[in-house]
Amino acid sequence: MKSEYQPKVIGFLCNWCSYAGADMAGTSRMRYPQNIRIIRVPCSGRVDPLFVVKCFQRGADGVLVSGCHPGDCHYTEGNYYTRRRFALLREFLDYLGIAKERMRVEWVSASEGQKFADLLSDFTMELVRLGARSKI
Amino acid sequence: MDMELIQQIRDKARNLLEEGTVEGVIGYERASDGLTSRPFFAYDPSDTERLIFDETCAHNLVKYLLDKKSKKIAVVVKPCDSRAINLLLNEGQIERDKVFIIGVGCPGMVETNWNHKSETLQAKCRSCQLSKPLVYDFLAGGELERQAEEETYSDIMEAEAKSVATRREFWLEQFGRCIRCYACRQVCPGCYCPVCFAERLEPLWVGIRIAPEENDLWQTIRAFHLAGRCIGCNECERVCPVGIPLSLLNRKLEKDVKELFAFQAGLDPEEPPPFATFKKEEILEFEK
Amino acid sequence: MNLFASKDDLIRWLDSLLQKHIVVAPVRVQGQTMFQPISKVEEVIFDFDNTTLSPKGWFLPPTETLFSVQRDDGKVELVPTLVEHDAVIFGLHPCDAKGIALMDGPFLQEPSDALYRERRSRTALIGLACCQVQPECFCTSMGSAPDDPSNVDILLTEVEDGYIVQAVTEKGKALLPKGLVEYKGKVPTPPKLQTVPTKEVISAMRELFNDPYWEQLADRCLHCNICAYVCPTCYCFDMRDYADKGKVERVRSWESCQSPGFSLTAGGYDPRTTKGERLRQRFYHKLLYFPEQFQDVACVGCGRCVRDCPVNIDIREVISNLQQVTEAKSGS
Repeated sequence: MKSEYQPKVIGFLCNWCSYAGADMAGTSRMRYPQNIRIIRVPCSGRVDPLFVVKCFQRGADGVLVSGCHPGDCHYTEGNYYTRRRFALLREFLDYLGIAKERMRVEWVSASEGQKFADLLSDFTMELVRLGARSKI
Repeated sequence: MDMELIQQIRDKARNLLEEGTVEGVIGYERASDGLTSRPFFAYDPSDTERLIFDETCAHNLVKYLLDKKSKKIAVVVKPCDSRAINLLLNEGQIERDKVFIIGVGCPGMVETNWNHKSETLQAKCRSCQLSKPLVYDFLAGGELERQAEEETYSDIMEAEAKSVATRREFWLEQFGRCIRCYACRQVCPGCYCPVCFAERLEPLWVGIRIAPEENDLWQTIRAFHLAGRCIGCNECERVCPVGIPLSLLNRKLEKDVKELFAFQAGLDPEEPPPFATFKKEEILEFEK
Repeated sequence: MNLFASKDDLIRWLDSLLQKHIVVAPVRVQGQTMFQPISKVEEVIFDFDNTTLSPKGWFLPPTETLFSVQRDDGKVELVPTLVEHDAVIFGLHPCDAKGIALMDGPFLQEPSDALYRERRSRTALIGLACCQVQPECFCTSMGSAPDDPSNVDILLTEVEDGYIVQAVTEKGKALLPKGLVEYKGKVPTPPKLQTVPTKEVISAMRELFNDPYWEQLADRCLHCNICAYVCPTCYCFDMRDYADKGKVERVRSWESCQSPGFSLTAGGYDPRTTKGERLRQRFYHKLLYFPEQFQDVACVGCGRCVRDCPVNIDIREVISNLQQVTEAKSGS
């Protein structure tokens, strides 16, 4: 993608599914924007809403939280909690003036390398459309 | 002032102290302005003559139970405050048999400041649907007939209808005024972490700068930690020395939690709060 | 000699001060009155009770960078924060002016605090005598008065149609506009205030360190920092270095002895862990430790803590109670 503005994206990926999915995208040499900085977490349920808010405070343009599909969590039910937590946080951040499009929660399995690549292209494009966040 | 109600509170408190049922009674006494009220701790039966109750007793005394966990304590509880009792029972913070609840029927609290008492009911009281506390051991003054407005969240919806940029500007201006006195946290019955995230040094989540970017993080997380837990006593907004409209944050979350998870905090001491449970089959907005 | 300035004179004077100075004056912000730098005279409000926060923030800001260190091409450079402008604080009440005079004790005593000293020497204080007092005011019991000129450079007193202008210091005289006429009318009598007896308070404090009074008082204390942050004389701060990409900033921010981590030391020891100990510390600092070091009690009677405490911990009541407790003790 060609653009002057390169949004900063932080991705919290669960060790068992999404990180492996990203790995697969890499080893299969799929092309996707390089805007993401990945942080590997044991489970998407580990992601404290504080992490996400802190990312935005420190200047991230977008944050991705990604884990196993509901029903497939390595720890059986971690991602069910994730789902509830971030459904509410997205709304709340939007209310505080950080557009909900800047925060994504996605389910990516270890075999979904293509989905991961597509998702990042889409997310990055969306962020470019939204433009840089205004500095405090 | 309803002297009959006050006498019932005093008699009960005296009784409990004399019989040794409790070691102390937490209630209200007249403040130093001779007009409003303040929290009061009675340990001796003779102290109970200082207890009062009127439309200035806004403080949510349930907060103090967290300081007195090892003792058996009686506490004067308004209908709204009783939701804080349920919250703390639900979260295992207090033991039911260590607390004696003196419930009071409540006509609604008025807006007060030191030496100022207005005629206006607090907004939370205008829409309060509770005619008596949800949980009590003794009810002073009996159940009250109340004519409550419906909570329509009209102010929240008005804010939601504005643009994201307008909302950002609004909140940065509000948070810019915050002096991080942490009164909102200190007064909140739901804020009881032994070490608040804002006090942690490693990692330093919230920096020491009293500046918009740090205040923003503090206020966002403070409110979100109370999502599905805030019982709406609105003490945080009442005590804020710089007038930040915190109820606009808390009630936004309350509204969304109602809509997303059909849950309201403090109504039931057993029902798990929304983030401690889940439904496998539910589909939330971002998945659609 | 007292001079007279009409309301128009005053507006013109403030306008001319704005040309060369930063003018800090009470303004209304979202329902609060605050001392803030103004850009035009119309922002200033003249009729106000004590402001939400005291003007101490001009000298000790809620947050400031003391200096920064930058690394560039292997060179390390220390960049101090500079005070580059002369300033005037306009409209502060005598109690707030006394608060600043009290802060001079710890901040100007050698080794003095460079930023505080710079700001202090480059700022003139134009005070406004109080024509009205609030029920929470008790400045006369704390060695000041509604018309006390002793800690300002110029004192204004409102009279019909204008202000009596009293230049107190040389710095004040230099700021006066030309053409003011002498004021020959009557100087209004200042409003009366209630008195808080303080005679025995310091000796009472010496006696009562271990008295159960503190624990009882702390029962209702929430341990927020409101009292300390609205107080014109509370001056505790925290410092921390912020490092980011080759730049380090040393930041100082307000902090208060009521905070849970305030007295926590390396290694984990905290001499004041309970609510009672922390509350007691605040009163001991104000009413004993500060006067032992700097003569005066560290309270100016502005009443802000009385007004804003969510649970009505009223310092006037504490001062009287302490003396009563010692009296009762010595009587028995």
